[in-house]
Amino acid sequence: MYCNKIPDKPVDNEKIWKKLDDLARANSLWITAYGTGCGAIELRPLHTSRFDMERFGIAMRPTPRQSDVLIISGYLSVKTLKRVIRVYEQIQDPKYILALGSCTIDGGMYFDSYNTINILDRYIPVDVYVNGCMPRPEAVIDGFILLMKKIKEGKAVGWKRYKENLEYYRKNQREIIRNWDLPDYNW
Amino acid sequence: MADDLMTMLRETVEDYRVIRKRHGYLHVSVPRERVMEVIVTAKSRCGKNVLQLISAVDRIERDIFQLTWILESTEDASIFMVSADYPREGCKVPTLKDMWPSAVFFERELREMFGIEFPGNPRQDEDFLLEGWEGIPPMRRDFDTLEYSMKTYGERRKREHVDPRRLIAEHTGEWDTPVPSRKEKS
Ligand code: SF4
Repeated sequence: MYCNKIPDKPVDNEKIWKKLDDLARANSLWITAYGTGCGAIELRPLHTSRFDMERFGIAMRPTPRQSDVLIISGYLSVKTLKRVIRVYEQIQDPKYILALGSCTIDGGMYFDSYNTINILDRYIPVDVYVNGCMPRPEAVIDGFILLMKKIKEGKAVGWKRYKENLEYYRKNQREIIRNWDLPDYNW
Repeated sequence: MADDLMTMLRETVEDYRVIRKRHGYLHVSVPRERVMEVIVTAKSRCGKNVLQLISAVDRIERDIFQLTWILESTEDASIFMVSADYPREGCKVPTLKDMWPSAVFFERELREMFGIEFPGNPRQDEDFLLEGWEGIPPMRRDFDTLEYSMKTYGERRKREHVDPRRLIAEHTGEWDTPVPSRKEKS
């Protein structure tokens, strides 16, 4: 059973405890264990003992329903983009996207490939980019710390941007996904 | 014990050409009418019982596709490769799906990437990696990937050049090598 109603536009109801909420969110970022492209290799040392991301409260979760962050770890082919949209829309609000590698920023070394996108921001809203080809675990941790800072300041609002501009993102997605058969929204 | 490949080749096809030969490795080129025969015999008589890959190379200068079947034996891990040339336009190749079910996937991939047809393969038109692709198959060499990428996925962002000397000079005010100004760059 699922619902494919388009989500309402987010309303800004500032709660008194919003700061506390944000503090809690920033310190327990759970990521969907999902990797695209070469950058996913660098996530293994990140969550094992050498770099140990759990000291920042970052953990891998097996399903999008339990997680807050989706990492796009490199080049994204059109076929994968379709799955990424499904996964991203299933994550509960608030949700954040961390994009690794030059491939997500401007196409990187796959800029002339027939099947990988060039600019990720046109299809899903990115909160933090980490550059490098591929970024070392230190750089990824740095990206996470920047993300935490943005969350605490209330500036990581990619998910709001996505809901507000859903038509724009859908238009771009439909342009390149040739066999579009997704529902209006994947809850 | 399996037969020797060279003996088998001499008995089945006369006009084969050895491209490369090493210990446990043989690459031959045969005429395209005889290629299935060679593969069948290599499997049944010489113990080459694994189909590792079917690959294609677009040799646009000679107007052919060079298809290569890579077979391996689980007995002694020796490799046997058979190549044959097919015309680029309306390329039709017999399927191997009855001998190795895994051939279906290799053939679907070649169908999608090069447009090579495998008339005996019932699943040849299913999508493999490119979902709903239209137009020239992308691995053909007359397909311009850069142009396609620019058209479909948008232009790349231009890079911004930052000269570290300029940054240091701006920061500390003391750097005595000539510093390119912002104006000169743009
Ligand atoms: S940025 Fe480099 S390492 Fe990352 S996906 Fe692209 S090519 Fe691979």
